[in-house]
Amino acid sequence: MSVGTCTRCSSPLEREDLRCAVCALPAPRMVEADGVREAVAQILRCNGCGAAVQYSAEVQAPKCDFCNSVMEIETPDDPVEQAEVFLDFTISDAEAREALKAWLGTKGFFRPNDLQDRAAVDGLKPLWWVGWMFDAHAGVCWAADSDAGSGRSAWAPHSGRFEMRADNVVVPASVGLEAEECRELVPYYDLARNSTEPKGHPGATVEQFTVQRSAARRIISRALEGVARSRARNYVPGSSVRNLHVSVLPSTLTSKHLAFPAFVLAYRYGDKLYRAVVHGQDASCVLGEAPIAWGKIIFVSVAIISMIALIASALV
Amino acid sequence: MSAAVEAALDGLSCESCGAALNVAAGERTTRCPYCASPAVVARPRSAGEEPTFVVGFVIPEEDARTRAKAWMRSTWFVKSGFKEADVTDMRGVYLPAYLYSASARVGYTASIGENYTVTETYTTTDANGKSVTRTRTRVETEWRSLSGEWSAYLDDVVVTASRGLHNEELEAIEPYDLRALRRYTPKILSGWLAEDPSRTAAECATMAREEAVQQIGRRVSAFMPGDSHRELRYKTSFAHEHGALVLLPVWVLAVKYDPEQPAVRMVLNGQTGALVGRPPRSWTKVTIAIVAGIFALALVIYLGIEA
Repeated sequence: MSVGTCTRCSSPLEREDLRCAVCALPAPRMVEADGVREAVAQILRCNGCGAAVQYSAEVQAPKCDFCNSVMEIETPDDPVEQAEVFLDFTISDAEAREALKAWLGTKGFFRPNDLQDRAAVDGLKPLWWVGWMFDAHAGVCWAADSDAGSGRSAWAPHSGRFEMRADNVVVPASVGLEAEECRELVPYYDLARNSTEPKGHPGATVEQFTVQRSAARRIISRALEGVARSRARNYVPGSSVRNLHVSVLPSTLTSKHLAFPAFVLAYRYGDKLYRAVVHGQDASCVLGEAPIAWGKIIFVSVAIISMIALIASALV
Repeated sequence: MSAAVEAALDGLSCESCGAALNVAAGERTTRCPYCASPAVVARPRSAGEEPTFVVGFVIPEEDARTRAKAWMRSTWFVKSGFKEADVTDMRGVYLPAYLYSASARVGYTASIGENYTVTETYTTTDANGKSVTRTRTRVETEWRSLSGEWSAYLDDVVVTASRGLHNEELEAIEPYDLRALRRYTPKILSGWLAEDPSRTAAECATMAREEAVQQIGRRVSAFMPGDSHRELRYKTSFAHEHGALVLLPVWVLAVKYDPEQPAVRMVLNGQTGALVGRPPRSWTKVTIAIVAGIFALALVIYLGIEA
């Protein structure tokens, strides 16, 4: 829960933060410790037996040598946070199966002819995969080489600066789905259809975040840099670009923990199992792997080589 | 961070047995000479700023001793007796340091090298002594000027706030894993030596800025486009500067390998075990090694020529 904002970069601070996760400014102490009027030599006493205790490097806490009790000290709270916004499931199990079948029919010539008919769904798992969604404002400086203004060399250096606003940028945190799969699913979600509780598919698994808050913020900061790099490309003159570097000064970086609905399906064709992912809100979005008809590929390759050989012999 | 704490403290008494305690200037902890109770000195706020953060000791004494002995055994060309010498003195100290952070804006100019290939023809004589014309390619660099801006947050710049341990020594045992930073509490210091800062905040800020400028230099250099660059000049302006006093765990070890020679000091990072020290070099051994090396090289060359 946010308890204020950083005075340097205006990003929200959590109650347990020792330093701002974006710019490292020490967070103000929420509860001021009582001061002393004059210098005193204080002894730390064991809560169990009252003996004087000292800090132990082995247990990384004060430990009593007499009764072996260990005192707790304030440690930075770095929890693994959980989803706070759930996008609704709007596709049923049956619709997901139908979507997979329809998708198998669109895979093209180099797939088995009977793929759509013979593929049998072996397992269907509805789940909410998780990710962060962040909003940020940032000042971005860039430098790059491009073909614009080039002379003897094909490249000329350029630099510039722009202000950027990034809204609703999703950073996948899923372990079950590949990051690339998540990125392909994201544009098909209706962010307005959400609730604070899992809705639309009772019994669906809710994936857990596995990264602690501090690590999550580093991942988000790197994602912001990625967004800045892709936007910077639009500011570089010319058609070819290389060595594009950006430096980012973020401010007001806020993030939410989201859960996105999807179906993971396993289907069998012949003896082999294949995996596919069906979007939880839009049945037209299906990703996954499908068997390849190697016979067709060999046949076409042989036919092309024969044709080339035939044309070559005719020309000779 | 306020002015360095210099004065010794009088009039303190042990909370346990009531004996008078004498806390040396610049120290934050003490131990009662009568009942051996460890005590941490709490000062009124007006006397100086309390540390903001602490990194607790992770490496226990025996582990630190083992690492130091292993390091001593691994050193080369040292004076006799050093490898086998015992650690004569060993102290775990919380070193006061200054944790600096700021936002930096840099304006730079540089000359950027863009490579291109030139194909040229030349005339030479072939194996038969005939004059022939051939082509070859050569990489040339076109230099273009570039100016621009670079900006970022600088964090985790750490400099010593103690005159007892130089910044070069601290840099040699860095980095500390600052994810283990804890808000200052006397509980972590209990039973250990803890030093008060002996450098002023202004001194530390100047050192931190110098270190920050070096860090910026490396980052701006990596930011440059082109195949190479030269004449990089940059001007930095810092904003939102902040310094926090942090106590870092350090093992300071002394080794007396020869009664005639001063003790050799080693400093070990109390969190990661990184170690720095200046082993006593034996110049006789170094000379013998160089002479032997030259002799071996000459022998190899001679055998090569003979073969």
